[in-house]
Amino acid sequence: MTVEEIFAALEGKFDVKREPLDKWGITAVVAAPYLHNAVQFLKEESGIKFDMLVDIAGIDYLTYPNHEGPRFAVSYAFKSMKNPGARIRLKVLVSEENLKVPTISDLYANANWYEREVYDQFGVIFEGHPDLRRLLNHVEFVGHPLRKDYPAQKRQWLSTNDYLLPELEKRLEELGYKVIQRSKEVETNDNEFLEGSIKE
Amino acid sequence: MIVLDPNGEKLNLMPLNVGPSHPATHGCLRFLTALDGETIVASVEEIGYLHRGFEKMVERGTWQQVVPYTDRLNYCSAIMNNIAFCRAVENMFGVEIPERCKVLRVIVNELSRINDHFVCVAAAFQDLGGTTPFMYAFNPREEIMCIWEKLTGARLTNSFARIGGLYRDSYEGFEQDVLAALNSTEKALKDLHACLDRNRIFLDRTVGIGKISAEKAISYGWTGPCLRASGVASDLRKDEPYYDYETYDWEVVVGTQGDCNDRLQVRLAEIEESVKIVRQALKRLAPGPVDIVDPRIRVPSHKLAYQDMEGLIGRFKSVYEGIRVPEGEYYCGSECANGELGFTIISDGSGHPYRIKVRPPCLTQFAAFHELVEGGLLADSMAVLSGLNIIAGELDR
Repeated sequence: MTVEEIFAALEGKFDVKREPLDKWGITAVVAAPYLHNAVQFLKEESGIKFDMLVDIAGIDYLTYPNHEGPRFAVSYAFKSMKNPGARIRLKVLVSEENLKVPTISDLYANANWYEREVYDQFGVIFEGHPDLRRLLNHVEFVGHPLRKDYPAQKRQWLSTNDYLLPELEKRLEELGYKVIQRSKEVETNDNEFLEGSIKE
Repeated sequence: MIVLDPNGEKLNLMPLNVGPSHPATHGCLRFLTALDGETIVASVEEIGYLHRGFEKMVERGTWQQVVPYTDRLNYCSAIMNNIAFCRAVENMFGVEIPERCKVLRVIVNELSRINDHFVCVAAAFQDLGGTTPFMYAFNPREEIMCIWEKLTGARLTNSFARIGGLYRDSYEGFEQDVLAALNSTEKALKDLHACLDRNRIFLDRTVGIGKISAEKAISYGWTGPCLRASGVASDLRKDEPYYDYETYDWEVVVGTQGDCNDRLQVRLAEIEESVKIVRQALKRLAPGPVDIVDPRIRVPSHKLAYQDMEGLIGRFKSVYEGIRVPEGEYYCGSECANGELGFTIISDGSGHPYRIKVRPPCLTQFAAFHELVEGGLLADSMAVLSGLNIIAGELDR
């Protein structure tokens, strides 16, 4: 089975369209509501099992010349381990008014961090994501830096480390532990901490 | 904090922060652990301490100006990143680079891989308290660094590849230098194997530590030596061959256990394979041009610019306006020292990249870190971390 045939199957099932801008490979543009099912199809049912999520990239088309349609896009790259060389990309268009895309972190373990990164850099919300926090930028950072309207020279005052204790507790609960007495450092709305030790 | 464990027993856990500036968290990594005695019960990671905004910065320059930024991704094998990026853009142009350029790229690629793997293994030893192997590994690395110095003028961030060619052809005596470096690499490999293969302390620290199954590694998107250590024979140089890698005689190295020891041993075995490839490539190195002759892709040489009107125009245009990469969206992954380094490139047909997304191989590996260390000792987490070879430069971009 070739990737072309997979694309034809996707076309029949999820009403995807071929992205004309991808002249080197196959990119299927899929509507956000179908995304999860389409990815599940690629991973489990299609003839070539695309069992590895290679990358998730956000795109902001704000200054793209002659661009029509939604402002943002999220592009997913998959590859197959059993059929080396078989690759496919999916693309979801996201409008500025409705910045929501269903998560695929239940299908691929690494989607968790990739989606956090797209959220961090573009502000796209992944519905159903277990832990949608910033990944690369600082916890106090305001705005989404890879958007085209974010000025590259802008500076922000950031003062403190990420507050990881609540996440640690969450991880413990995931593993089946139950926190009965919190560490005394855990004060989630402690202003003193959030403001940081260095005062302007 | 006091918790009830899954069996309902009361435990008093100590949250302990490791990093970001800890000697074993190379670069800047941080993780917070919940300790029961010396055992890690749970761990969460935080990254981003080295986030420079690579993807934002490259949007402000021309396509050629991206190349020095890619050096700073995996700074242990800078040239490899240059080549991976240039290959992606060349594929968008749909051009073939000259034969000599291909062979030279293979040689510097594999020398970089040797360099990178040596740093990883040496640092892993150092973290576990072994200084001697560190010195054994750094001797041949120094020789390769001297080749870089002669070839590019820089030791660490070389910026050697160019879109459509190389910064320059190799120097006189390059082949002899490379052969000498290969010989000392092989000698160092023997010494390293003598140090670690039957070393009880080292084996106790690494065998069975930080195990990951092939399915889980694939689900986490692992690539490169770490995935191969789990027994998956996946290598882009064989799977999606480029630069005629398939015509060289070499093997994909796989491990069996997927533990820390396997990840280091796979790297050492890969150095051997790289030595094989370089030796064969040196035989293929025939005189010829290294650059594409097309002022729309590769800047014309100084000689042309000073003597020829067309050359001058070509040079002026490509420096001031940048080369015009065909409009479109493209993903291209290359096999780098740590795994698949991919570039998702969005070009609007102008002289500046519209968007470049880097797929760093380290990110997926560090995302699985908590699964590797939970249930192990705190001291083991150091062995796991250095076995993964997390390079903060490409992790945080």
